[in-house]
Amino acid sequence: MSDHENDFSRRLFLKGAGATAGAGALSMLPIQMAFAAAFPEQNIQIFVPTRAGGGADRNMRAFTSVWKNHLKTNFEAGFYPGAAGRVGYETYMGKAKADCYNLIFGNMGPEVLNWVVKKPTFDLKSFLYIAQVDQDPGIIFVSRKNKKLKTIDDIVKEGKKRTLNVGVSRLAHPASLGVLALGRHTGAKFNLVPLSGGRNTRAGVATGEMDFGALPSGSVVRKQKQFDIVAVFDKTNPLPDRMKKAIVVNDHFGMKLPPLYAGARAFGIKREAIEKHPDRYKVLTDTLQKVYTDPAYKKAVIKTKAPWKYISYGSPADCEKYVEYISAIGQEYKSLLTGKS
Amino acid sequence: MEIDWGLFVELFARTFTFWWVILPAILLGLIVGAIPGFSAANTIIILLPMTLAMEPEIGLIFMVALYASSRMGAGIPAILVNIPGTAGAAATPLDGYPMTKQGRGQQALAISFVSSVFGGLLTTILALLAMPWLSQVAYHLHSVEMIVIMLFGISLIATIAAKDTLKGLIAGFFGLMIGYIGADVVYETPRGTFGFLELYDKVPLIPALVGLFAVSEAFAVIEGESILTKRGKEAMQKAGWAETWEGVRLAISRWWHIIWTSIIGLVIGVVPGAGAAIASFVAYQQSKTFSKTPELYGTGHLEGLVAPESANNGVTSGTLIPLLVIGVPGGATAAIMAVVLQYHGVAVGPDLFDSQPELAYGAFTAMAVTYALMILTVLPLARYMSKITVVSTTYMAPIIISFTLVGAFVPRAYVFDMYLALAFGVIGYVARKTGYHVAAILIGVILGPLLENYFLRALRISQGDIMVIFSSNLGNIMWVLLIISLFVPMYLDKRRKRLSKQAIPITTDC
Amino acid sequence: MSDENGQNSGKPEKHSAGAELVLPIAGLIFTIYYFTTIIDVPWTAQVSAFFVGTILIGLIIALIVRTTLAVRRGDSSWSVAPLIAPKSYVPKRLALLGLTLSYVFFIEWGGFTITTFLFLLCAMLLLSGGKNKGLILSLSLALSVGGYFLFIVAFNTRFPRGPVETMLHGVF
Repeated sequence: MSDHENDFSRRLFLKGAGATAGAGALSMLPIQMAFAAAFPEQNIQIFVPTRAGGGADRNMRAFTSVWKNHLKTNFEAGFYPGAAGRVGYETYMGKAKADCYNLIFGNMGPEVLNWVVKKPTFDLKSFLYIAQVDQDPGIIFVSRKNKKLKTIDDIVKEGKKRTLNVGVSRLAHPASLGVLALGRHTGAKFNLVPLSGGRNTRAGVATGEMDFGALPSGSVVRKQKQFDIVAVFDKTNPLPDRMKKAIVVNDHFGMKLPPLYAGARAFGIKREAIEKHPDRYKVLTDTLQKVYTDPAYKKAVIKTKAPWKYISYGSPADCEKYVEYISAIGQEYKSLLTGKS
Repeated sequence: MEIDWGLFVELFARTFTFWWVILPAILLGLIVGAIPGFSAANTIIILLPMTLAMEPEIGLIFMVALYASSRMGAGIPAILVNIPGTAGAAATPLDGYPMTKQGRGQQALAISFVSSVFGGLLTTILALLAMPWLSQVAYHLHSVEMIVIMLFGISLIATIAAKDTLKGLIAGFFGLMIGYIGADVVYETPRGTFGFLELYDKVPLIPALVGLFAVSEAFAVIEGESILTKRGKEAMQKAGWAETWEGVRLAISRWWHIIWTSIIGLVIGVVPGAGAAIASFVAYQQSKTFSKTPELYGTGHLEGLVAPESANNGVTSGTLIPLLVIGVPGGATAAIMAVVLQYHGVAVGPDLFDSQPELAYGAFTAMAVTYALMILTVLPLARYMSKITVVSTTYMAPIIISFTLVGAFVPRAYVFDMYLALAFGVIGYVARKTGYHVAAILIGVILGPLLENYFLRALRISQGDIMVIFSSNLGNIMWVLLIISLFVPMYLDKRRKRLSKQAIPITTDC
Repeated sequence: MSDENGQNSGKPEKHSAGAELVLPIAGLIFTIYYFTTIIDVPWTAQVSAFFVGTILIGLIIALIVRTTLAVRRGDSSWSVAPLIAPKSYVPKRLALLGLTLSYVFFIEWGGFTITTFLFLLCAMLLLSGGKNKGLILSLSLALSVGGYFLFIVAFNTRFPRGPVETMLHGVF
């Protein structure tokens, strides 16, 4: 796909056709060839390995709507959903040029777990995450209409009597692993049912087909009227005001689970792009760091009803650490993720 | 959720004042609905900058009007040139296109418009009034019940392949196998993808639709001067306003048919993820099952056109219910509407009826007003639109090929999808030339992944116990209904044949 | 819909059943290939496809048996004639297929506007046998330029873009 275009997003960022035309005029000027050092001289392409309208899309839009002011260029998003993110990453690694004009925006948690299950066709070392955007813990939630299951204790108690069906986004997901670990620890029986994405998972829980669900908290905390969050897989409850009923799994059950950040969205890039264009890479990282402290970004995040508290910058080293850590957890539960024991 | 009549009247009156938003949206919706690859969801995404700049109320009215009219737009090419604009209109050409070939394209369009508008209007008002009860549907139709609903749709394969059941079933099951290409929903294992990454997320519907219907049709029609039969061409040349009125009259004469098939659409639309394609297939199948003249279906039969068009517009109102009542969108378009509303700080869900009733109920009044305005704007166009069928195939075939192939490219921007459409074109061409029904293949491609999805989910829930499919009371009632709807027509058909043989002792060589 | 079976009038012909087997045999090959891709996967990923695939294979075998019996009886032949009938259209159809393939091949680089113009022009000239050149030229031009303005300029749709679109990007 040479023309990686998703112009609606560019238009969205530009907010107006006039600006689109202006940017277009700029990008077509042949004179730009002479100023190779002036980065960026064209729009930045973002590959998103999930569907338009999902959590990553929302997150990416909020970030790039501010980053474009610092980087002084526009962003164009292309969505490549499929096979738990595999399609997006393979497309990015296979087709995107290593020129720092092409980035990927994904969710490190589930997507790295995916590589544990099946190795990608590209070398994992040829790619790295350059900035983590948010850190969103996995949670357990119930429908407010559920008369029986109101708290995590209700869930565990009921799970000891019968197997409970748990709606999850996908099997290879940190929140799913959290539920499984809880089941092992308490003896409650939980049956994970992957429903492909946050929206379907909420639907499964809301319609009562699932007994409860497990997702990143950001996906549920916006829907307080429909759902109660009853447990969180983190060191502490990060949002005591918005997740009043949520207990911290480790404290409540005396477990020693590492924090399971189910949402860990980050920008990634080909390593080759950094090696070939260190100057461009520096411009990218310098400008993106400014976004986190820009009040406009806080405003954009709050507008999406996502908790601002989850936004934090993670350096490439932080990202690498996270990838190693989540891969190790994945190895432990590999049989569950592949369906082969 | 008490019904506040005063609020409704006020909302209707208010919505009418937004005619200047609704009319352009209708026009745009008709166009994008008619071109494969666009659809309301894609168009709303394309127009996001515009809708985001609008006031939430105006933005919502615009999106709803675009959505409703796109559904009707999709039926136009389905009837006139055998190319459904979206999967929701895939059952429309079954009887719509034969009518066109007979030179009754104008009547067919009028029938489609009237059925769509009355089906849409009726279900929108029903949705508005019965929301508290309808919203419960999603709580009862779980995976097991959805498996049976899917089978209702799939059983249409056998119905439309009545001439040669064996070949019909082969086409349908081949379609199902093609629909199974892609990663499975539980372990994300790629299957049957020929190594193409582009097929991991299942076979994309638009390229399949474009290839099976449009490309194959274009390659087939070049043998003739126009798509019309000789008599059809003569009829078309004489056609005037009277043909439009005939269509209106015919459609209105089937008012009861419009009512019950649109209600099928409404109920199926309420279930998140089900969609217009399944609703129109089920409505067509049921229409034929209960018909006194099932043998006429597929030959340009009035009820065969009324049923899918009423049903797919019934879905339009249905998909808004779960979005507004449980905060879960019923389909892709509703999901994107939710995103737009969210940008304005409007959280969709049950509290919307308390916090901003003008938006929650307004979505439905906007839809009702759209339908009311749509019939006035679109009906006079039937006469002119239908003239497209007299265009020579010399011009028509290349235009169909190029524009629908580009339409196949639009949703995902993969050039691969254009090649895929071409491959489906070859399959469709071979099917047409050798007496297989392309609609049967498409039903398989559309419903295969949905069926598998619900089936695997049910199996996962039951932890592998296949008997789960008979585990729900509602589901079991539906199974019985499915069996009745499959076997009663067969029995009636045999009886009819026996009786007619007794009446007219002619030996035929079948 | 499939009414173009190309049967010749005149002396009664045997039913050409060979053509009817083309699609089922393609289906059979595909199903077997599909099965090879799911041998080593969890059972949940197999169960539906094995079920449907087995029925499909059964149906295809039934059709092959039915056809063989009909051929033996002398009611049908193995001919694939309906697939290519009427023969006089074979060159045109193949040429149109070639043009369509080239269209898809070149649109990736050439972009929508110019490639569509050339395709429409060539395909219409092919089908008209070289007649109405003026009309065809203006129609091809109007449609490709109209398509450019409607889809690329007005809707900003992701149509394939090439040199023409890039050049005009700044203008419109």
